[in-house]
Amino acid sequence: MTTTTAPPQTGTARTTLLLGGAAAALAGALLLSLAVGSKPTAPDQVWAALTGTADPHTTAVVESRHPRTALGVLAGAALALAGLLMQGITRNPLADPGLLGVNAGAAAAVVTATAILGPASTAATVWWALPGALAAGLVAYSVGGRESGGGTVRLVLAGAVVSAVLTAYVQAVSLNMPEVFDSYRYWVVGSLAGRGFDAAVAVLPFVAVGALLALLLAGGLNALALGEETATSLGANPVLVRSGGLVAATLLAAGATAAAGPIAFVGLAVPHVVRALVGGDFRHQVPLALLAGPALLLLADVVGRFVLRPTELMVGVVTAFVGAPFLFYAVRRMRETP
Amino acid sequence: MSTVRGAPPLLRVGNAVALPLHPRSLLWTLVLLAALLAAAAATLSLGRLGIPATELVDALTGDTTPAQEFVLRRLRGPRLVVALGTGAALGLAGALFQSVTRNPLGSPDVIGLNAGAGAGAALVALALPGVVPVPLGALLGAVLAVVVVATVTGTGLRHPGRLIVAGIGVAAMASALTHFVVAALARDQASVLYAYVNGSLSARSWEHALTIWLTLALAAPPLAALARPVALNEMGDELADSLGARAAATRAAAITLSVVLSAAAVGVAGPIAFVSLTAPQIARRLTRAAGPNLVVSALVGALILALADLAVQQVPLGEGLPVGIVTLAVGGVYLGFLLVREWRRGVL
Repeated sequence: MTTTTAPPQTGTARTTLLLGGAAAALAGALLLSLAVGSKPTAPDQVWAALTGTADPHTTAVVESRHPRTALGVLAGAALALAGLLMQGITRNPLADPGLLGVNAGAAAAVVTATAILGPASTAATVWWALPGALAAGLVAYSVGGRESGGGTVRLVLAGAVVSAVLTAYVQAVSLNMPEVFDSYRYWVVGSLAGRGFDAAVAVLPFVAVGALLALLLAGGLNALALGEETATSLGANPVLVRSGGLVAATLLAAGATAAAGPIAFVGLAVPHVVRALVGGDFRHQVPLALLAGPALLLLADVVGRFVLRPTELMVGVVTAFVGAPFLFYAVRRMRETP
Repeated sequence: MSTVRGAPPLLRVGNAVALPLHPRSLLWTLVLLAALLAAAAATLSLGRLGIPATELVDALTGDTTPAQEFVLRRLRGPRLVVALGTGAALGLAGALFQSVTRNPLGSPDVIGLNAGAGAGAALVALALPGVVPVPLGALLGAVLAVVVVATVTGTGLRHPGRLIVAGIGVAAMASALTHFVVAALARDQASVLYAYVNGSLSARSWEHALTIWLTLALAAPPLAALARPVALNEMGDELADSLGARAAATRAAAITLSVVLSAAAVGVAGPIAFVSLTAPQIARRLTRAAGPNLVVSALVGALILALADLAVQQVPLGEGLPVGIVTLAVGGVYLGFLLVREWRRGVL
């Protein structure tokens, strides 16, 4: 199945324009994320608080929104890039950390650690989430990733199977241990709220390394998109690109998942939008996803803050509803035979 | 005997009903009934509160101590009867669905029905506690999920691949809602709700038993009437139409009946994963017969759920777990095995 329908284009001016637009959207999302909440703050007040000229109360309110905003930027970028990489490696437009069972793998590992060692800091959680995420992703990929036949559905189904089994395990453990259940049920919904700066700091290295790898791999992914043999003849090493991409995607997905919980569909939706905007060139897609992912996640978080006033709708719920239509759109484009 | 070589004799009731009687299916029906009897006896007699097997027949015929009466009438009796009925309903629902979608994976739970039911139950429990019964919420959620899936595929429920992926999408939305409600409630309520949204048989009453068995009884006549047209449908729409089976109408009726049966099962036991997926496939393998294998599928479904619930009650590690978690784990592994095998053969 081909993932791209757009002709190869090098519209660098267009990409620059789009990058500018995405940067502006991200700046707007940042501002909104700092301004919207149980005590709304006007934009000029937010600016005053950031530059240290606001009254102490306003400053305190805006500062209380710093951690979740930082986490939103990191998690949004990480999920968008992870999805982009996975779609590039598997050449499957439905690849996404959540759909491939990576989130469930991270959850299973984290719950196991919590059950044995008690609740841990986010930094410790990431180190648990990583092997879990990698193992689950590898199982799903090795079961369903073969390219012959109609791999699109296959990979998603394999991911669903991995998720089902791991979810059963997670639920069995958490229902037997009230403390594990208590932390699990807040984590699994996917939320940026109620986590300190330490969560963002803990996952920053993982996201940074993953993003760097993604930028380095962009050329190789372009070659891979042309098919295994063409890629080799172009001087790219498909095995290296694939394994590098898998490592990067795992670092990114596990980092985001450990910090914010499993957040569905950002990894699916952002690459689709990005591809529609700049076409199939990964050297253009990666930077745009890096800006668009955070913008989308922050906006989803802002929306979640006022739809259910006075309570909040967690960002994971909002993204599920924002992202699912992208899946349905992809469904309608599927060929008649699976 | 029929004149066509290899075609089984038919059990006819008037003009509407013509059930094929395969010797192999009959044999497995008897074997499964015996296994069900054994599972039922084990459910009632094992463990600390069990009624010893030697006293079981006496106890069932009314000669009980008060303690045994409590176990039989309140504790394990209704739970067992609900498990059998729910398992049968799920097996039937899956058999119909897989047959008319011509898709071994087309089962109500794969297309998001379970997740929708869980979300419906959760939202009702959070938003309207005590006003709307939780099973009614589950029912509405289940129906809504199927409607959404049928709508977003753009091809209704025909295309297997689209159906599955759309189902995964609907399931993701539904479980996001469920997780939200579980996080929003107090811990005690949350763990009760969580057990329900995974599918549980603990503390079921005779009312639950009545609900599911009444549904089965009401579904039986249309099921009997549908068995033959559904089997014809497997040969393809055109052929079925030319044989007078009216493929589209049959499919609509079968899917409606399948959703009703699944929804009733969800109503009494919560969304139990994978029974409706696996039971018809096992039935097909046992009987090696084409068509939906309704009776055998129902018996296999009942046996799976009875055994899973027996495990939950008697295996030390599983104690107190909702039975749906057991079927989710076992069914998930089975589904994985099935996928790998079908892909090796290049079938799927």
